[in-house]
Amino acid sequence: MTINPDLPFVLISNCIPVKGAKRSAICDLTRSEIRLIPNDLYDILDLHEGKRVGEIKESYQNKHDAIIDEYFDFLVREEFILFTETPELFPKMDLQYHEPSDITNAILDISEYSSFDPIKVLKDLNEIGCKHVEIRFFRSTNVDELQPIVSMLNDIQASIISIDFIVPQSPGFCKENVIELLLQYPRIASFKIYNASTNEFIPPVDKQRGYIIYSDTILKDQRCCGVIDPSLFSVNIKTFTESLKYNSCLHRKVSIDHLGNIKNCPSMSKAFGNIKVDNTEEIISSTEFQQVWLVNKDSITTCKDCEFRYVCTDCRAYLENPEDLYSKPLKCGYDPYTNTWEPWANNPLKDKAKAYYNML
Amino acid sequence: MVLLVSETNDITTNEVVAWLNAYGATYQRINNDAYARLHRVALSNTKCNIQVAGIDPSCLKKVWHRRGSLRFLPEPLRNVTNLYPYLKKEEDSILKSIEDILRGQHDYVGSYHKEIENYKIDHLINAKEADLRIPDTLITTSKKELIRFFNHHEGIITKDIRYGIKLHLEDGKLFSSGTFVVTQEMIDTMDTDFGPTLIQEKIEKEYEIRIFFFKNRLYPMAILSQNDTKTAVDYRNYNREKPNRNIPVLLPGEIKEKVLQFIELSELSTGSIDIIVSKKGEYVFLEVNPQGQLDWVSKNCNYYIEKDIAEYLIAN
Repeated sequence: MTINPDLPFVLISNCIPVKGAKRSAICDLTRSEIRLIPNDLYDILDLHEGKRVGEIKESYQNKHDAIIDEYFDFLVREEFILFTETPELFPKMDLQYHEPSDITNAILDISEYSSFDPIKVLKDLNEIGCKHVEIRFFRSTNVDELQPIVSMLNDIQASIISIDFIVPQSPGFCKENVIELLLQYPRIASFKIYNASTNEFIPPVDKQRGYIIYSDTILKDQRCCGVIDPSLFSVNIKTFTESLKYNSCLHRKVSIDHLGNIKNCPSMSKAFGNIKVDNTEEIISSTEFQQVWLVNKDSITTCKDCEFRYVCTDCRAYLENPEDLYSKPLKCGYDPYTNTWEPWANNPLKDKAKAYYNML
Repeated sequence: MVLLVSETNDITTNEVVAWLNAYGATYQRINNDAYARLHRVALSNTKCNIQVAGIDPSCLKKVWHRRGSLRFLPEPLRNVTNLYPYLKKEEDSILKSIEDILRGQHDYVGSYHKEIENYKIDHLINAKEADLRIPDTLITTSKKELIRFFNHHEGIITKDIRYGIKLHLEDGKLFSSGTFVVTQEMIDTMDTDFGPTLIQEKIEKEYEIRIFFFKNRLYPMAILSQNDTKTAVDYRNYNREKPNRNIPVLLPGEIKEKVLQFIELSELSTGSIDIIVSKKGEYVFLEVNPQGQLDWVSKNCNYYIEKDIAEYLIAN
């Protein structure tokens, strides 16, 4: 396709421009890609959608024809726009967000100090309608311990669609055993073995089962989490629409730490109760627990001016200003005012926060 | 109570069920691979009483027949090779009768009957009746007729009359559910007489529209595939590197009325309609699938169709 001078253009409605302080991003929500554009082009799209290219040039007194052509060549090449005689038939996509489950994701940590029954916790999470659970072992475990956990989910036809395991290496977690476990239980979405002697990625056996990762990373505790990186951006309709209203990291998520404390995130210190004594459902329904869910990117300092704000993973556990819930994620090295990425840890301005979180 | 008839791994049913759970609705889901006991279809001059799978018929409010069908054949009988085809035919007959009876008594959305008897020609006639433009269509066994049709049109395509090609041949398998262009070379190789074959004039399309409908609610999605030769004839010839743009679209009021008229004439309560918007801006009806896919329409356009369906099923 090329520029059609005779017809008005419309934007492909699931490719959404987001304006930042200094440049904008077109979030291609079905191809999961981001294309960066100058704010001038953002303004053209915003002000002139539904017009012919010639009309747009005229509105700038034909002073910028070459650059406008260049912009439209780009939009055509990326298939971000459509030339049509009937622009009125291509509405904006409804940016509604709904979710049937009160809790979609849970993280469950198990260590040598844990004294709760993981099967009971999973049953509770299932009752709430939780869809995805990640279970992290900070102590050694084996197939005989994991099998009954997943097996129970089958028996009760659980609403939990997927389960991810993160475990330390042990002789029982050789490839054959893990693959056999994955074949037996399609619910296992991934199986990650840390402290391994190798680094290896084993893709899903028949494209439908879980994948396996052996990693020589040493997993000590939760402080490794919260890094903001473009490779982690989630460019899809669900995350985008959710981020417009809610916190993209914590909304409808719960974590149970190794002592049974009910938290928003394993890396956050605040506990709202304990599964051994409290009713999980009551805790997660409380306004107090859900307060952080409402911290959307539009309300966070700096992030509100960032072109990546609706595809970013965010982090509320480690903040530039630990006292301020609306502060930028500590581990974000991006500056939307200069459009530069720097390793976050090198920034001396972050030393105070790093000291606060014991990261120095 | 709501009865759902579906298949175990149908993602759409799973999502509707998630919404039914969220709304605290009572429902029973019966999957195609399970055995549903047929307690009775009891007829007399004074009554017609049906009970299936332990469901009290007086509690049943709505039925959503999403996919597959109930299976009344006990598991062991499905494996008796010689007996099975006969038993299946008998089962098939009572399934259709039960559906017709339940349809008379309850709000019954979706249909096994319609899915099985999904004849393209019948639908084209209904579309024509509804004053929708349809492609010139010929079904013939004669090469002479085929050539005449070919010469009369700019281009022609062929597709199945009812059943997508699924053949297990001695030297391999042959599958096709798509549409392809018929060329002079192909016609040259054909015999004077052949099996009944459907051919249609090829419409140069601006874009395609897939309309999922549930009762009277239409969810149209535009499929912009024309720039891509792989998908120019049939979007199902999928391009994985650069997927088609699938976006929400509106139907002009007059077309919407005609589509609704078609749905009424065809007595379908749900399904998926394929329409082409031609280069000339005409809306050309191609076909309808009574158990059409809605997942990709819902996700690409952010329509939340599954939520709407759940809300419909629990509404009084």
